[in-house]
Amino acid sequence: MIISAQGLKKSFTTKSRKGSQTVEAVKGVDLEVKSGEIYGVLGPNGAGKTTTIRMLSTLITPDAGTAVIAGHDLVKEPAQIRRKLGYVSQAGGVEEQNTARAQVVFAARIYNVPDPAKAAEEILRKFDLSDIADRPGRTLSGGQKRRVAIALGLVHTPPLLFLDEPTTGLDPQNRANLWDRIKELREQGTSVLLSTHYLEEADALCDRLAIVDHGVIVAEGTPAELKRSVSGDVVTLRLDGLERAAEVLTPLVARTRVDEDVLRVYVDDGEHALPSLLRTLEADGLSLRSITMERATLDDVFLAKTGRSLRDTGAAA
Amino acid sequence: MIRDTSLFFGHEVRNTLRNPVWPLFGIMQPVMYLLLFAPLYAGMAFGGDFGQALVSFAPGMLVITALFGSMGVAYGTIYEIRSGVLERIAVSPAWRPAIVLGRMLRDVVSLMIQSLAFILIAIAMGLRVSPLALVLMLLLLGVTGLFSSGVAYGMALSLRDENAMGQIMQFFALPLMLLSGALLPMALGPDWLERISWFTPFYHPVEAGRALFAGELTDLSIPLAFGVMLALAALTVTWSVRSLRRLAG
Repeated sequence: MIISAQGLKKSFTTKSRKGSQTVEAVKGVDLEVKSGEIYGVLGPNGAGKTTTIRMLSTLITPDAGTAVIAGHDLVKEPAQIRRKLGYVSQAGGVEEQNTARAQVVFAARIYNVPDPAKAAEEILRKFDLSDIADRPGRTLSGGQKRRVAIALGLVHTPPLLFLDEPTTGLDPQNRANLWDRIKELREQGTSVLLSTHYLEEADALCDRLAIVDHGVIVAEGTPAELKRSVSGDVVTLRLDGLERAAEVLTPLVARTRVDEDVLRVYVDDGEHALPSLLRTLEADGLSLRSITMERATLDDVFLAKTGRSLRDTGAAA
Repeated sequence: MIRDTSLFFGHEVRNTLRNPVWPLFGIMQPVMYLLLFAPLYAGMAFGGDFGQALVSFAPGMLVITALFGSMGVAYGTIYEIRSGVLERIAVSPAWRPAIVLGRMLRDVVSLMIQSLAFILIAIAMGLRVSPLALVLMLLLLGVTGLFSSGVAYGMALSLRDENAMGQIMQFFALPLMLLSGALLPMALGPDWLERISWFTPFYHPVEAGRALFAGELTDLSIPLAFGVMLALAALTVTWSVRSLRRLAG
């Protein structure tokens, strides 16, 4: 276990003219991250992902709870933990005026890396930044800047890397590229804890993940386990009389759900269930406009656990 | 501790040297006062005696430079908070106060170089000042700069808002500058005004500077100014280091 946390809590008090308001950002989070795995924290904006990462990376102290990170106690030995982790915030922390190389070399110096210039050179090459290493931060594209940000967090080869929303704001190409880089980290044995609100990202990248909502973990497991837990397939039906259709299909399926103008039906084995679903609808005189079937996604897991779709929270794209 | 502070100091100095236009701009204003206003001042109050006028005028300009010099740089810190640079450094094993101290030292060194350049121009214009007085003046300006640096970074790190910081600075800068007697000695005004000015921070380095430039090295205003500025610098530097801690655990 590189991270083992129990009952982490954090609330913030904001003061305004209307009086002070306390927001419980994280209401008790337990996390176990194994050495060498990519662990994801998936949830909508405001779910407490960033606060959780900031607590685990020693930036803010938890109000309650304990954690052991890379063998050290979070509250008692933050200094030892800091030596062993890399942290890439959502903002990135790339200086505008300074060249990528100068920043990475300086980061290596801060961490007492024996040969800062060489370490910087290596990490810049690994992230395909050698050609643009001598350009100031402000001239870099979003994708390049993001890679510099991660290089800054990795130059001291930490055993544990925190990535807060690593691909937010990147185009699909840059995102896929970055996913490959993060997967390479796993091959080197670096443990990664990342937060994301992208379903695809959590699915493609994470060995295990926790789905968080309103400051608590609502589900945890490998992506495959999580999807299995909500039944294997989702059949989406368009027709008039959604309520009636839901009623007649209920005995045949695991769960039904009316979502605006469609009926979503969860079944264990879609291929074999489909004919009987169609027969039943026809027998009841309900005529279908369209029907689609797909494997359950992490969004279906989120929907099953919270009653909302992650896409509807305005977080996912 | 010292290693980390010098590390951050070195990084900041390199950043400044990459674009030395700004400290150059910083010194342009007092130099313009010196070139365009000091002759007027000499003509009005000192019967055209330039050397005499500069003894009174140069320390005021130097303290004003110290007052505003680091304010602009501290603005940059707000950007560093927003872009995550400070956060990234705060999770490193570096000694936290070094992050702020390195920046302040850079400001102080930059201020002392600016001040030296200014004094050399003033000497070329007719100011007579002993080497000891010059060194003491530079040290006093260094401490004064550290104080205003402490205020600037403390504000930047606790307000984290350029607009609020600008408003507050504007609000305080004018009365503090007028009451320091930097432009015209407070002794020229009524008693009550001088009494009030005694309780404002920048009055003391201005008075001490005038004593130093006049060659009155035993004047009590000199140790008083050093004492007041050192105490205020200690207070505000502590404040800004604390503000950094609030920013990130």
